[in-house]
Formats: sequence, structure tokens, C-alpha cells
Amino acid sequence: MFENIPIISIIILLPLIGAIATFSLGRYEKYAKWVAFSFSLAALVLSLLVAVDFMVEPDGSATGYHEGNGFFDFQYYEEYSWIQSLGIRYIVGLDGIGLPMFLLTTLLTTLSIVFSWDTKQRPKEYFGLMLILEVGVLGVFSTLDYFVFYVFWEIVLIPMYFLIGVWGGPRKDYAAIKFFIYTHIASLAMLIAIMAMYFQAGVNSFGMEDIWRAGLSEFGRTFQIIAFAATFFGFGVKLPMVPFHTWLPDAHVEAPTAGSVLLAGLLLKMGGYGIIRVSMPTLPAGADAMQLVMAAIAIASILYGAMVCLAQRDLKKMVAYSSISHMGFVLLGYATFTQLGIVAGVFQMFAHGLVTAVLFMMCGVVQHHAGTRMIPSLGGLSKKMPNAATMMTIGFLASLGLPGLVSFAAEFMVFASVYQTWGLWLLLPMIAVAITAGYYLWALQRSMFGPMTDKIDTSHIHDIDWFEGVPVGTLIAVIAIFGVFPLVIFQYIDPAVRIVQVLFAGGG
Amino acid sequence: MDVLQYAWLIPVFPFIAFILIALMPKRTLGWEDGWGYGIAGAGGALALSFLVIWEVMNGNTLTEDAPRTTWLIIGGYEVTFGIWIDQLAALMLLVVSIVGTLVVVYSGGYMHAEGETRRRYYAEIMLFISVMYGLVIADNYLQMFIFWELVGLCSYLLIGFWYQKPSAASAAKRAFIVTRVGDIMFMAGIILLFKYVGNLDFAVLFDVNSGAAGAPTVPSDILILSTALIFGGAIGKSAQFPLHEWLPDAMEGPTTVSALIHAATMVKAGVYLTARTYPLLVQTPESLLFAAVIGGVTALIAATCALAANDIKRVLAYSTISQLGYMILGLGAGGYLVYHLQNPSGYTAATFHLMNHAFFKALLFLCAGSVIHAVGTNDMRLMGGLRKHMKITSTTMLIGALAIAGVPPLSGFWSKDEVLAAVYHAGDLDPIFLLLWVLGIATAFMTAFYMFRMWFMTFAGKARSDYHAHESPRIMTIPLIILAGLAITSGFALFAGDGFKAFMELPIEEHVLAGHESAMDVAVEIFTDPLTYVSLALAVVGILLAYRMYYMPGFDRSVFARGTAGTLQRALENRWYISKFYDDFACKVWYGFSLVCDAFDRRVIDGAVNGFSYLGASIGGIIRKAQSGNVQRYASLIILGIVILLAFLLFVVPWGGW
Repeated sequence: MFENIPIISIIILLPLIGAIATFSLGRYEKYAKWVAFSFSLAALVLSLLVAVDFMVEPDGSATGYHEGNGFFDFQYYEEYSWIQSLGIRYIVGLDGIGLPMFLLTTLLTTLSIVFSWDTKQRPKEYFGLMLILEVGVLGVFSTLDYFVFYVFWEIVLIPMYFLIGVWGGPRKDYAAIKFFIYTHIASLAMLIAIMAMYFQAGVNSFGMEDIWRAGLSEFGRTFQIIAFAATFFGFGVKLPMVPFHTWLPDAHVEAPTAGSVLLAGLLLKMGGYGIIRVSMPTLPAGADAMQLVMAAIAIASILYGAMVCLAQRDLKKMVAYSSISHMGFVLLGYATFTQLGIVAGVFQMFAHGLVTAVLFMMCGVVQHHAGTRMIPSLGGLSKKMPNAATMMTIGFLASLGLPGLVSFAAEFMVFASVYQTWGLWLLLPMIAVAITAGYYLWALQRSMFGPMTDKIDTSHIHDIDWFEGVPVGTLIAVIAIFGVFPLVIFQYIDPAVRIVQVLFAGGG
Repeated sequence: MDVLQYAWLIPVFPFIAFILIALMPKRTLGWEDGWGYGIAGAGGALALSFLVIWEVMNGNTLTEDAPRTTWLIIGGYEVTFGIWIDQLAALMLLVVSIVGTLVVVYSGGYMHAEGETRRRYYAEIMLFISVMYGLVIADNYLQMFIFWELVGLCSYLLIGFWYQKPSAASAAKRAFIVTRVGDIMFMAGIILLFKYVGNLDFAVLFDVNSGAAGAPTVPSDILILSTALIFGGAIGKSAQFPLHEWLPDAMEGPTTVSALIHAATMVKAGVYLTARTYPLLVQTPESLLFAAVIGGVTALIAATCALAANDIKRVLAYSTISQLGYMILGLGAGGYLVYHLQNPSGYTAATFHLMNHAFFKALLFLCAGSVIHAVGTNDMRLMGGLRKHMKITSTTMLIGALAIAGVPPLSGFWSKDEVLAAVYHAGDLDPIFLLLWVLGIATAFMTAFYMFRMWFMTFAGKARSDYHAHESPRIMTIPLIILAGLAITSGFALFAGDGFKAFMELPIEEHVLAGHESAMDVAVEIFTDPLTYVSLALAVVGILLAYRMYYMPGFDRSVFARGTAGTLQRALENRWYISKFYDDFACKVWYGFSLVCDAFDRRVIDGAVNGFSYLGASIGGIIRKAQSGNVQRYASLIILGIVILLAFLLFVVPWGGW
């Protein structure tokens, strides 16, 4: 479908053009949402067409096929030289790992824009920044050059900083600065590791594939361990992993709803994506040495995150901590070093992105309609907003891993792979399944069920608005469809994960 | 046309009804707010189920060449979903289809006053019926687990149907979380098998030549652990000790829900799972013993709690737990008989009891619903004298009570007796079963007592509060009459055709000796066995005792309030304090621990982050003082710097050998 069309670049550029158009609306700023929506929708439609066109088990006839010879096989591959003397090129392409993330990005951005439909405060800047964010995230998920990867990675920080800092809650300044500095320090660790790999590889190229190929012979075990630790720290903070997670709840509590959706839905995925795209294939011996560290951190994140959720009084903070717990499954799947676990980990990223978007949107709905998110002040809202209560229930159920909804397949397969690697240690992360059910259902009981609260004025509460209901409803439909037919996504991921062979060939 | 190939359509009917009821716009729904769609969906499934059951009774099963669809391909594993229809599945289909349809019919009267919320009720009931069928016809453990969780979801939603009531919202949450503990064990159990067999299809696992049932594929200690864990799922779902306390709380839901989900179908899923796992369980006597002990203890504990309950539905709930304990005990002991003697009598007895109990317990619950509908309370202390006003309800409930008490020729007599006989015979293999048999027989006595205590308190004597009772409308009494008919007759399945035993041993025929008894032999055996008369005598004594204490005047019940009897009475009324223990554990210990985690997160982890940034800012603050703007100070600092640099280059560098 897309022969000779630089489709990936077009999809990345669309929101950029959209952002420029939005920023330059001047006094027509009430049309900002329409402009932003049109461009994000165009990117969504094109990325869906790419997904349809994408060849699941690629061979030479795939569009823009680039064979990675054991690295990754890319489609829609584009390569342009940028700074020749340093070996920096603009390379983009998609494989079965990048594609689901790409789809998630275009989908969540579009729905977040719809969700923010009644934003009155500086709409030009608000919607423009969301599109800039989309550019950065799309770039991260498709670029194949470390330098450009880092540029996109840092681009993401800036719009998010402003989204929190300008449109945020009462402690927005603290949260925005904390978010920026914390994740920026992590990025620096990653940058140092990238530089180290660049020089150690010595091929005068920042291309991921070139460095990977050179690394097979040039990267010694000690080097790999140090470089892996640095990249793992860089990506892990984003993931986030315990104990480097405390930027996340603050950022979420203060961020506007759409900001939280994009933060949890997309930015956290960048961490999980980086580990599978950069750290593990390029530095397999390092990964091998750090396997138990990864597993321990993952299990700690899963259990500790769930325990802290149970104590939260703010609905949104609880959902924020639940992300820590659920992203732990991604890391746990990776750490098993099995095909089953890694594929399930990637799928869990996709699933979590969809589910957590619903949860944050519903927190926004509660805040918007009831005026507070504090669970002890809520209660019995189901009577006033039955549709909202239904959607929130479905979101919570999806998040606690109910079969038939999207997260279940990922969680089950991660557990199965944990048993294959570590035997009955399996039972440790499984405890989280019960705790998760506990905090979600308890929160639901206290906020939506029971007698109507008398702590807040409930007389004006009405049911969910259309611009909130449409994105949440769309996401719920997607969650149900991929819960019943997970193969649709797994068929992309499974053939693309070759890392197990790489690890066994290059590391160990 | 082979009907069995289309058995996958059974859950589709109620599912379509669910979608229609849930998504139809408000104005066009009508038809008593979804009731009609429910009847159509349940009725369609009933008709197809009967065709399937007919095929199975004619000797056809569908266990290997079923239509399959691929759900997942991952890492070289392929997970497929299909259908599995054997005699056991047919039995469950019979129960689910009959009780499901009758409960929907009955709801038309019972839920009439609910108005618009009926839409949610019927949608959830239809979803439940659909996923329950899905569970029954699943052909692999993962598929079963998926539906297993979904029936749990429906149970959660329906227990919390009256969500404004704090107790209902709390009970719903509790039921979900407690059963989820069992679900974790179930999931772990199948993950264990998955590693060694690489497949979760029953057809593969139960293959005596190559599957897990043939032993060499899975190491024996892993097989023991995995069957015990899978049985752990049954402990949660079938409300076995120590995870049984959610079921009495689940009575917060509408009575129809209690009858359908918490008596006849969903709670049977645990028993069904245990029976389904038999080809593996019979390889692992350790797990069987575990199951039998759990079942026996549950039967007794639940029966004791029923003795002192005053809520009519809680009496029935404890009775359900107790009877489920019987079934699990029967399966455990029966597995021993298969393991040592290739004798299937325990297995057939337990599954027989599963069917009979579904009918008479659904009957009892729907009768209780009819009573509650009439008097507007669950408390039996406020009832009394209803017999005169509710002839059909009181008669059908009497039939149900006689059936569960084990009075011949009603259905409970036959199956309970068979279960106890199997346990007694297993006593030859391991004396612990004799102890369990004693528990079982004591339970039988208590069952007869508390059921008639309930009946007398409700229907006999004089009214103890002010109400205007009336018989329920026909839409509710007709299902009662049908179920009463089944409670009387379903026991005779033991003698129909070749007999129930010959039919029911087929799913595990590879593990048992061929050449079974004829129906006539079974009858002779029952009536010549002295054990039959022991349990019958105990049942009669129990009924008479209840008659003396709760019907005849002049019995002073205040003796229960004093001394040792009083302590015991209070312990029973507090359900042996098990529920309180869980509450304390959850609310104090576990929640307290989570508060500690939260404080740790804010103070220690985030405190370190903020401390670090504070340190950075402080150092910056100190250094900032150097930027004073005073040029002379800058000049002197520059000179100082040059001196230090020169000193370094002149003395330190050569000395260091650089």
C-alpha cells in the first residue's frame, strides 16, 4: 500500500504540522481543538492502515523491508544521512514490537484530545503541546538511530513539563520540576551509556543495528554489565521501577487528566520499550548478569505498588501507584528471558496503556463532576452517574486482570513464564492478583456504591458528558476486543521478539 | 446433523440476550424491562442443551474432534478453545439449563417491584447464564479458568445488585476477593501443568498414554502440587473451609441470585472442576485425601453454623456449604476407591448429589424467596404461621426439606446415602475415612434438624409479627412446583435405563474396572446395607427433635442462653468467629501494613529524593555566595586559583610521576 511513500515520517510529521498550525491560530483559538483533533485523527487513521498493511511474518516482499539479520526485521524502513561526520542518520522503521506502541500512541493522543474538549484555559498551547508530545513518542517508538532516539526521548519531556506545570493542580510547580529533573537525570545515565556504546563499538555510527552488530565482538562482559546497568536505570525510572518511582504519583496527582493519560499510557511505555529495543539485545551479557536484579525489582514493584495502592485516599493517586504495580509485570516478563515472558511483557505494555487510560479518564470524570477525588468524601455516586459507574467498574476489572479483557492474557503468560524460569517463586508475584482485586473493589465500593455521600454537594452531579464518554467507550470496546482476540496483537509481537535467540547466542 | 458440533451455540443464546438487554435504548427495551429477552435467551439455551443431553444419553460424546479456534500463538505454544461434551458436562448442562430457565421465569414475579433496575438485573443474569454454560463446555483448563473468573464477576455484580446497601456492597467485594484467593491457586495449578505438558487441553492432559494422567510427563511431586492447587480453586468457588465465609454474606443479593448462582450452579463449579480433574486426581492420593478432609470438615462446620442462624437465607447458605462439603468428601473418598480398587462409586455418588442438590436447593431458595416476598423480612424469628397463607410455598418447601434431610424416596436420600457409603468403604483403605464418615453422618443428623427448625419457624405456629402474607403469583409458584417435582423424582435416575452409575462412570472409564452393577443390584445394595438405616434413623431423629423444640409448645429454649450451651450458642451465632478473624486480618493487619508501606513511600523513599534535591539546592546556595559581584574579591580568587594551579603543576604532577 505504501511503496515509495515515507509513511512513518509522514505519521510523525502530521502532529508536528498540526502543532504548528494550532499554535499559530491566534485569536481563532477556539478552533484549536478541531485542528488538533483533525491532525491526530489523520495520524491515527494512517497508523491503522499501516497496521493492516504490515506483514506479520515479513519477507522480502514487505513494504520497505529491511532485514536485521538477527537484530530486528523492520518494515517501512527509511534512512537519511544527517550528520555524516559523526555517523548520525535519521532512520525510522517499524517491527512487531514498535507497531503496537505506535498504534497506542496515535489512539491515546486522539482520544485524549477529545476528552479535553471543554478545556478553556489557553487551548492553543494545550492542544499544541499534546501534539508535540505525540511527535516525540512516535519518534521514540520508530527511530533506529541512538542519537535521534535520544533527541525524541528528550522532546517528550518538554511538553509534559508544561502540561503539568501550567494546567496542573495545586502543587503543579513541585510536581513538574520533580518530574523533569528526575527523569532527566535518568536520561543522562542513558545518554552516557549510549556514548559509551558508540565509542566502544567504534564504527562511527549511531545506528542501533550497526552498534548491535559491532557489539557482538567489541562489547566485553564488564562493559556490558556497566552499560546495561546505566541504560536499565535510564529506562527503569521511566517504567517506573521501585525505588525510583516517586516522581510518578506526584506528577499524576497534579497533571491534568489528558496529561495523566499520556504520561501513564505512553511515557511509561518508553521505558519498557527501551529495555527491549536497546538494553537487552545490545547488551545480552549485561542483561544476563543482571537477570535476578531485574526480577527482584519487578516483583518488588508489583507487590509494593499494590500494597501502597491499598492505602491511598486519592482515587488518582491509587491509579498512579497501580501503574507501578502493573508495569512491574512488563519487567518481570522480560526478566524471565523466555519467549513467552518477553512477548507477554510487550503485550502487557499495550494492555496497560489502554486500561490505564480508561482509569485516568474516569478519575478525571469523578473530579470534574463531583469536585473531588478523595475516596472518603465520595460514596453512592452510582445512583447519580450510572454510566460513569459502569465504565469505571469495567476499567477497574480490566486492570485487575479479568479474563475477557485485555490484561488477562498478558498476566497469565507472564506468570507461566515465571514458573518456567524460577519455579515456585511464581507464588510471590501472584499474591498481587488478590491485593489488586482488593484495592480496586474497595475503592469502587467506597466511591460508587453504598449510600449517597453527604460530605459533598451531590445535587448538581450528572452523568458522564459525551466528550468523556466517547473516548472511554472507545477504549472499553478496544479493551474487550483485544481481550477476546489477543491474537490480533500477539501476531505482531511474537515473531518480532528474537531476543531469546540473541541472548542465548551472544550472552550467557 | 450432529447436534454436538453445535453445542458451542448454547452460551450464545443468553449472550445475545445480554447484549440486547444491556445496549438497547431505554424506550425500546420494554417487555417487562428485559424479562422477555431473558426468557428467550434462557429458553433457547435450554432447548439446545436438551438436544445435546439427549445425544449424550444415546452414547455420543464430543471430546476430541470438536470445532476449535485458536486464541493465542505465543512462543511456540498454541492455545486453542473448543468444546468438550461428555457425561459430566451433560449433567451440568442439565442443571444449569433447568435451574437457569426456571429462575428467570420466577424473576418475572420476584423482581417485579424493582422497576427500571430490572434491566441491569436481567442483563447480569443473562451474562451469568452464558458464561456458566461456557465454563461447563470448556475443553481446556485455560478456557475453563476464563469462564471461571467471569462467573465470579457476575456473582460479584449480582450480590451487589442493591449496591446502596453498605452490607451488599461489602459482601460483593468480599465474595470476589475471597474466591480470587482460590482462583490464584487454580491458576498456579494449571501453570504448573503447562510447563511440563505445554498444553492445557483436557484431551492431551487426560490421555493415559502420553498426557499428565499417564504420570511420566509430569514429575509426581509436581503433579501432586498441581492437583492440590487446582482443587484450591474449588475451595474458593465452592466455599469450602477455610474460604467458605463469603457464601453466607453473599445472601445480600436477590434471592433468585442466591438460588441460581449461590446454590445450584456457580458454587457447583468447584465440584465440577474437581470431578473434571479426576483423571489427574486419581494419580495423586495425597491431593484426594486433602480434598476429602476439607470436604468433611466443611460439611460439619457449616452444618453447625446453620443450627443457630435466624436468617432464613443464611440457614440455606450454610446448608449449601455443608452439602458442597459432602460432594467434595465424596469425590475425595471416591478417588481413593478409584486409585486402589478402580471402583467409581464415590465419583458417581458425588456427581449424583451435585444434580439432586441443585434441584432441591434451588427449590428451597426460591421458596424462601417466595416467603420473603410475602413477609418482607429474612428473619425467621419474625415469621411463623405462614402455612395457612402460603399453601403451595409451604408444601413445596416441605418437599425440599424432606429431600435434603434424606427421607426416602426423595432425591436427597439416594445420593447422600451413596456418598456416605463410598466414604465408609474408603475407610477400609485408610481409617481416616471412617472419621470423615462420622463427620458426614453427624452432618446428616444436623441437616435434618436445622431444615425442619427452619420449616417450623417459618410456617408453623402463630405469626410473630405483623404482616399480611399472601401466596405468590403463579409465575413464581409454577417454577416451585416444577422443582418440587424434580426434587421428588431426580433420585430415581439411579435406576433409569442402565442406571445413573453406569452412565456417570463413562468420563473416567479408563481409570475404573468395567463391568458395573445393574440398577437392580444398586437398589438391593442400598436396602440391605445397615448403613442406610443408620443415616435414615438419624434423619428421622433430627426431624423429630426439631418438631419437639420448634413446634410442640412447652420447650424452654432459654437453656441455650446459659452456661456452656450459651457459649456454644454464641460461638455458632458468630460463625465460629472465622468471619471476624478475616475481617480483623483484612482491616487491621493487612490494611495497617499497607499504611506502613505508604508512610515508608512518602517518608523514606520520597524523603530521600527530596533530601537529595534539598542537598543540591543547599550546596548551590553556599556556592552562590561566591558570586558576590565584588570585583576585587573575584580578582583575589583568580590569583588564588592561579597559585593553586601552579603549585599543582610544579609539585604534585612531577611527584606523582605523570
